[in-house]
Amino acid sequence: MIGTSSALIGAVVFLLLILVWIRADSSSRRLPSVLDTWLPDQDDAAEVCPPEFVAQIFSGQDLAFILRLESPDLKRHFFRERNAVALFWVQQTAAVIRRIMRRHLEASRLSADIEFAMEARIFLQYAKLRLLCAVLFLLIGLAGPQKLHAIALYADRLTQRIGNVLREFESGVRTREMDGA
Amino acid sequence: MSFAVKLVPVQEAYDDLLNRTLSRISCDLGRLIYLASTRDYNTGNYYHEGLASRFSPEVARKALEIAHRQAFYKVSSLSLEVLANDLEVYLRSSRENPQEFLRTWQKLEPYRVTIPTEVNLTVARLFTSNLRLSLAILRFRQEQSH
Repeated sequence: MIGTSSALIGAVVFLLLILVWIRADSSSRRLPSVLDTWLPDQDDAAEVCPPEFVAQIFSGQDLAFILRLESPDLKRHFFRERNAVALFWVQQTAAVIRRIMRRHLEASRLSADIEFAMEARIFLQYAKLRLLCAVLFLLIGLAGPQKLHAIALYADRLTQRIGNVLREFESGVRTREMDGA
Repeated sequence: MSFAVKLVPVQEAYDDLLNRTLSRISCDLGRLIYLASTRDYNTGNYYHEGLASRFSPEVARKALEIAHRQAFYKVSSLSLEVLANDLEVYLRSSRENPQEFLRTWQKLEPYRVTIPTEVNLTVARLFTSNLRLSLAILRFRQEQSH
């Protein structure tokens, strides 16, 4: 009996998660944007968002201002707009980190001396960041970006850190290649 | 060495642009719109006759490009409250009918052409989103005052 109810609760939670995911995904696609029709050079476009803008997207300052205006329409409009921007940032961060990791794997394949501990640490950080992105993607629609400020800033710092570690790794590989040549 | 030689005139041209032209524009959004208007829609190159004659077309182009990107990041970093006020200053300075101005801006979204070519996509999205919200705020204020 307990097993059956646990399975039912689990199934309901799973279904809810899928629904939230679909909702988040569709709202991130629905919003009209200059970017739907105009895309600059992809390499430049995929750069990591400056931290001050991440803080701004997830900050409660703008929401406090909107609430002071006491307009339900404006409040709805604000949530729709800010959720879409936050979801877009999550997608971009996930894309950037995937791209960085792909480049790292290509560089590792060509490198003669791979440090297992270093690779394991990079992979763990990558997995943690992907998980954070998935959690943020799910929670933005449910809780709103303002309540996820700390998680978003942590994810941003982690992205910067992985980027820095991999840049150091790549420059190390290049130096060794030049020394070897 | 040649890098340093190249950078100095760009800095001078940038300062010149800042002091002679941009300082006369009353709001950040106005400065951004002005700088975007110096970009050719077909080629994406910037051109400013006075600056090009004082320096060179290439130096002027580079200074305008830098100033445009900086103005864009500045406007994108404004809080909604400040941006809505900035937009109101721009609206007043245009001397157009406020209702018509807001209706046209909401419909045509002309501010989209002010986005520089090499900027972060999330920031560009935040910029357009904040401007849409600022227009809605001004419209709301307008309705409240009537």
